Amino acid sequence: MTIDLALQSDIYLNYLAIVGGVLGFAGMVLGVMTIFGKDVSSIWRTYRGWLIMIPLVMGTIFLGRTAVIVGVALLAIFGFKEFARATGLYDDWWLTGLVYLGIIALAVASFVTDPRLGYPGWYGLFMSLPAYVAGAILLIPILRNRAKGQLQQVALAVVGFIYFGWMFSHLGFLANTKYAYGYILYLVLAVEINDIAAFTCGKLFGKRKLRENISPNKTIEGSIGAICVSLIIPWLLWFSFPHFEPWHLVLTGLIVGVGGQLGDLVISYIKRDIGIKDMGAVIEGHGGILDRVDSMIFVVPIFFHVVRWVHGIR
Amino acid sequence: MTEWEYHPAPDIDETMAEHLRNFPRQPYMFMYALRSMAALLLRGWMRLYHRLRIDGREHLPASGSFILVCNHTSHLDTLCMLCAMPLNKIHRTFPAAAADYFFSSLPRSAVSAILINALPFDRQVNGAESLTVCSHLLNTEGNVLIIFPEGTRTTTGEMQRFRSGIGRLVVATRLPVVPCYLDGGLKAWPKGKLWPRPYRLHLRIGAPVSYEQLDESSESVRKICHDLQSRVAELGEIAQ
Repeated sequence: MTIDLALQSDIYLNYLAIVGGVLGFAGMVLGVMTIFGKDVSSIWRTYRGWLIMIPLVMGTIFLGRTAVIVGVALLAIFGFKEFARATGLYDDWWLTGLVYLGIIALAVASFVTDPRLGYPGWYGLFMSLPAYVAGAILLIPILRNRAKGQLQQVALAVVGFIYFGWMFSHLGFLANTKYAYGYILYLVLAVEINDIAAFTCGKLFGKRKLRENISPNKTIEGSIGAICVSLIIPWLLWFSFPHFEPWHLVLTGLIVGVGGQLGDLVISYIKRDIGIKDMGAVIEGHGGILDRVDSMIFVVPIFFHVVRWVHGIR
Repeated sequence: MTEWEYHPAPDIDETMAEHLRNFPRQPYMFMYALRSMAALLLRGWMRLYHRLRIDGREHLPASGSFILVCNHTSHLDTLCMLCAMPLNKIHRTFPAAAADYFFSSLPRSAVSAILINALPFDRQVNGAESLTVCSHLLNTEGNVLIIFPEGTRTTTGEMQRFRSGIGRLVVATRLPVVPCYLDGGLKAWPKGKLWPRPYRLHLRIGAPVSYEQLDESSESVRKICHDLQSRVAELGEIAQ
């Protein structure tokens, strides 16, 4: 991934046209609705958030592999920070700092060349980092000679690193693959469409609650609708991964359809257990970073390992 | 099994702009790191560009809270006083800064909050409320407040009358006050100039003064203001 390759990549340019078109069309629809006197102020706020996020995402991918790895690491760090601030783990700067270092180590492992195989991205180190970081986190109470409340803090730090750090950082490692543009852009777009489909299908057909104790607004109908939409998307975006066979497309659609909703539910029960509405307020109209990337976290590692198993990640 | 207790940060629903403008601010690791780096760079810049000399550092109390007051000729006053503080205290040192100027936009708020650790002081409408915020801040042992009792920068070089706020704060908190005088600020960065010029600066720190024996009457407030003003002026005469 480089600027030159992005300019020559039909995949990147196609996605640029798709998101530009969707953004322009949505803006026009909102404009028409405003002219006809509809109250769309809250949707405008969300739309303004997209107007900032989409150019940021497309710009980062345009800049190339390094920018993507750094960008994913920053999202993981700030996402974990939201989790740490929501749970109270942030008061412990040793553990929080150690998780930050772990996430930086993941970015370094994604960036450097594998010393044995000579490929970009040190896969072995990336996959073994959870063991090292979890081990280091467990040592902190011993170093500080402290026991009271340490199990909770250590458990939160390990979950924070594995979930928001390691699982999400697979997205950065995908920048090392031959089909990086297709994989990354497909995941970003398909997961967002899956989110919107779940919301829209739920609004239109929703009757039965999916998990009423976790997220009362989600419905079984919305969930099934989102899976159906997500099963169609890979066929429409087949140009992203021309080497995929039809059954790979079905699998890819299922990963996004199911994984996206699982990621959403995980953040929902974390928020409900803590007793907060949003994980932050950094993106106007969208809540925190985690409220935006929650669906990606489950999808990315499953997609990564399925692709690796079927095609390899070079 | 007993339930875990979570302690979400109180500012979790605030946007970035609100994080920066609201006070007291929650401690942020990135903010501390950036501020520490900025403090180091600032010390280097002051030494090289302005050849800053600081006399009387030994007067700064080693522990406990206190108030630093100084004449106000330019933005360099705050920066010089921050340079006088030990590096391990910069996160506990809060220069009171005019909210209508230093927190008027997001970039200014970011510089004021992250790099300077400024306390937004409302000098126009809610002055009394801002003084209460200062009092609360100083209640925490080890916090240091930098305040310019003249209220605004002088354009003539003449020190202006000390406003009553400093007196009210001192009688309310009963904390020691350290008077300071910065010489050269007006020449180096006069009001209205975009960028400072490389003139020498000389900061003189006086001995701490305690007003514990005074009551909370308006007469005491007036006395404190007058006494502090003359002490700062005295330091000025020595510095020049």
